[in-house]
Amino acid sequence: MNKTKDLNLIVAGVGGQGSVLASHIVADAAVRAGLKARVGETFGAAMRGGAVSSHIRIGEDVQGPLVAEDKLDILIALEPLEGLRIGVKYLSPTGIAILNTKAVPSIDVNIGKATYPEISTIVSSLERLCKKVVAIDATGLSIKSGSAKTLNMLMLGMAAATELLPFPIEILKETIRERVPKGTEDLNMKAFDVGYKAAKELL
Amino acid sequence: MVHVVAEDKIGKRTLLMGNEAIARGAIEAGIQLAAAYPGTPSSEVMETLATVADDLGFYAEWSTNEMVAFEVASGAAITGVRSLVCMKNAGLNVVMDMFMTLVYSGVRGGYLIVVADDPGAHYSSNEQDTRFAAMYANILCFEPANQQEAKDMARIAFELSEKFELPVFLRSVTRLSHASGDVTYGDMRKEKRKAIFDRHWKLPYRWNVYGPPSTVSKHVWLFSRAPLVKEFVESTEFNTLEIVKGARVGIIASGIGSSYAREAVRGLGLDGRVSFLKIGTPYPLPEKKIGQLLNSVEKVIMIEEGDPVVEMQVRALSNSLAPGRKISGKMAIDQILNPYDELTPNVVAAAIAKFLDIKFEEISKSRLEAKAEIRKLVAPRSSTLCAGCPHLGTYWALKVALRRSGGKVWIVNGDIGCYEQGGYGIFATKLAPSFVDHSVKYDIDTPYDTLDTNYIMGGGIGLSQGEFHAKYEDGAIVAVAGDSTFFHACMPAIVNAVYNKAKVTFLVLDNAWTAMTGHQPNPTTGMTAMGQQSPIFRIEEIVKSLGAGLVKVADPYNLKEAREAIEEGIKYPGVSVIITRRLCTLQYLREARKSKTKIVPYAVNKEKCTGCKICIQLGCPAIDFEDGSKKAGIDPLTCTACDMCAQLCPFRAISPGGSQ
Ligand SMILES: Cc1ncc(C[n+]2csc(CCOP(=O)(O)OP(=O)(O)O)c2C)c(N)n1
Repeated sequence: MNKTKDLNLIVAGVGGQGSVLASHIVADAAVRAGLKARVGETFGAAMRGGAVSSHIRIGEDVQGPLVAEDKLDILIALEPLEGLRIGVKYLSPTGIAILNTKAVPSIDVNIGKATYPEISTIVSSLERLCKKVVAIDATGLSIKSGSAKTLNMLMLGMAAATELLPFPIEILKETIRERVPKGTEDLNMKAFDVGYKAAKELL
Repeated sequence: MVHVVAEDKIGKRTLLMGNEAIARGAIEAGIQLAAAYPGTPSSEVMETLATVADDLGFYAEWSTNEMVAFEVASGAAITGVRSLVCMKNAGLNVVMDMFMTLVYSGVRGGYLIVVADDPGAHYSSNEQDTRFAAMYANILCFEPANQQEAKDMARIAFELSEKFELPVFLRSVTRLSHASGDVTYGDMRKEKRKAIFDRHWKLPYRWNVYGPPSTVSKHVWLFSRAPLVKEFVESTEFNTLEIVKGARVGIIASGIGSSYAREAVRGLGLDGRVSFLKIGTPYPLPEKKIGQLLNSVEKVIMIEEGDPVVEMQVRALSNSLAPGRKISGKMAIDQILNPYDELTPNVVAAAIAKFLDIKFEEISKSRLEAKAEIRKLVAPRSSTLCAGCPHLGTYWALKVALRRSGGKVWIVNGDIGCYEQGGYGIFATKLAPSFVDHSVKYDIDTPYDTLDTNYIMGGGIGLSQGEFHAKYEDGAIVAVAGDSTFFHACMPAIVNAVYNKAKVTFLVLDNAWTAMTGHQPNPTTGMTAMGQQSPIFRIEEIVKSLGAGLVKVADPYNLKEAREAIEEGIKYPGVSVIITRRLCTLQYLREARKSKTKIVPYAVNKEKCTGCKICIQLGCPAIDFEDGSKKAGIDPLTCTACDMCAQLCPFRAISPGGSQ
């Protein structure tokens, strides 16, 4: 637990991966813990498959909804290319990138108008930009833990494993239980724990 | 379970989106009517209100356009009931006539006008700053700095509106409406008023601007309200002045701009070294506080989101209150911020640092170089229509019909909705401007290069008539619009086309929902905002009765049928309307999920596929092209089995499950 300074996070992904819910859960947990929080969303058109990133700011006195460039403490990348897009602009040299290595190619790549970078290149690029990269096939892990739909909570578990979130993990878990769709609580909690453990091993 | 915004818990602290916070404020104030037309980033205000309207016993509607919404809410306010209207920036342009005139009579019940601007044009045709409109109409304008203020301002607006007997304006922006923050609840006013009417309430012919003694007398009355408003803006805590003794620099920052400015001050280590005036009412301004600040410093930095609305007023005030101050903001003299695009934390901090000539934390050269290198790797992720979107079929059919219309220089006038992506030019390669003085033909490759013009809702059908009456003869003239857009602004233009004898072809892409803004119902949906069933309006019946000479309904999933209908329309020597009707794919998928209908995705037979790439030209994001094998492929997870690509494959290589 780190209470002294503001914490900046961004959840980056593509439409349908649940990045907005994940970011609201983190901010909501912070508010429950008595802190101030902001979430700033940037979607392209709200259509399926578009890039979606959500800025989260937590602290005693945060004001604006956007993270400043080079001030991102924790990047939660549900999709690698989107992680790189956000990381190159916002990651702090002292930040941590938590990266799902499972790619969702863009239409530009699919029809041969652009090239998707190698995952290893994405990882090494992020390593040049920040202090630590935790890269895992989180999609694969979430399918193994029960459902691909829990990818977002699995990666929140990974973020919690950094010990940088300025509130007790129990509050985060309680918030997840309350905010995920009814009937999926156990599945999501399991994914969270799987992500937490997997990241702990790499941190 | 009650929705979180409807919880009757004073002191509850929770995370709310800006638009939810505005809705909560209105709920605390006890609104009895809310009307809106959807528009990003404003829609969630109404979506939230509509969700709880039944439970809390008030009325909420999605109106057919902003003008109607504004009039509906005005009607309620005239009968003494608290009401709210909400729209996006462009919506206010549609409302201007009533907006400028309602203020001559004022209101009896509290009336809040919520407008969400979009600096940065994330979702809009322009970056207009609607605070000017509040000034134009002479009413109080609020501009919240965060979600708590959004809630508090929306709440107090109703009380103030009743005190001033005038509407109150709340200007939001994307970064407030679509951002979330912690909000603490107040109590909920539960009293419901009976709607009453009195023709001569406090003034003769109160609700009739032509009534005696005169229209000007009502304008005089409007100005008589100014002292009440002024008194409020001088005393409210939404405008706060912190003078630092001895500081030579002051910052005046409004709305969300003040949030960025405060953080920049802290980040640059300027806490306790600059004076700060935080503005929550950009119109009218707290002149006394401005005078105090101007008189205590030598230089002033202006930070606001949008146009220099506060800055213009401060400069004017400075002339008489404290001449000779150096004032820097977005206006040309001593400019430190661009008068376009949105503010960001970096932009604000850099502007303040530049003004004070202090060092802004610079990024090392090697890091900048690394970033430039890495940025080159970041492949684009273009926004497209959804897999299986019926608009893909309409655009395919339109392209073939236009090509068959003689290959001349057609004009396709676009409009606003999901189908506006027909003009995003996302894969366009021909970006060089042209300087010739004759018509130039540009063929259509993917649907994303279909639209030749695009401005505002309902604009295309009108433009097409001007092109015709200008005697444009080099090719077919077509306009497209969606169903919500049709009801919003197209009907008068169709009457005009018929009556004034234009020859145009109008395509209505009817997917039964206002899809672009997040699926609000409209008169083609069969459901109201509060979830009541309502009869579906059939666009073909309407355009027939408006006098369109040729009216056809076609299924855009049937490419041949749609193409033939459009071809017939283009040949028709008068006003033709072709309605391409098919439920929005996202709604179809939702229904399929509910009814557990299995969707068998299509697949490409790799032996039959020749790699001709015709299917790629459909623009469907489920279709890909494998560089290695030089064959097309279909993503089974996103394919909706619409059949369109199978129909256009010349080699019959595409079929359900790939079994053919
Ligand atoms: C004056 C104005 N009001 C609202 C909007 C927001 N808006 C953008 S597209 C759209 C309507 C889209 O619905 P429809 O025409 O049915 O097309 P669809 O997206 O369903 O294809 C609206 C309301 C706007 N751009 N301008």
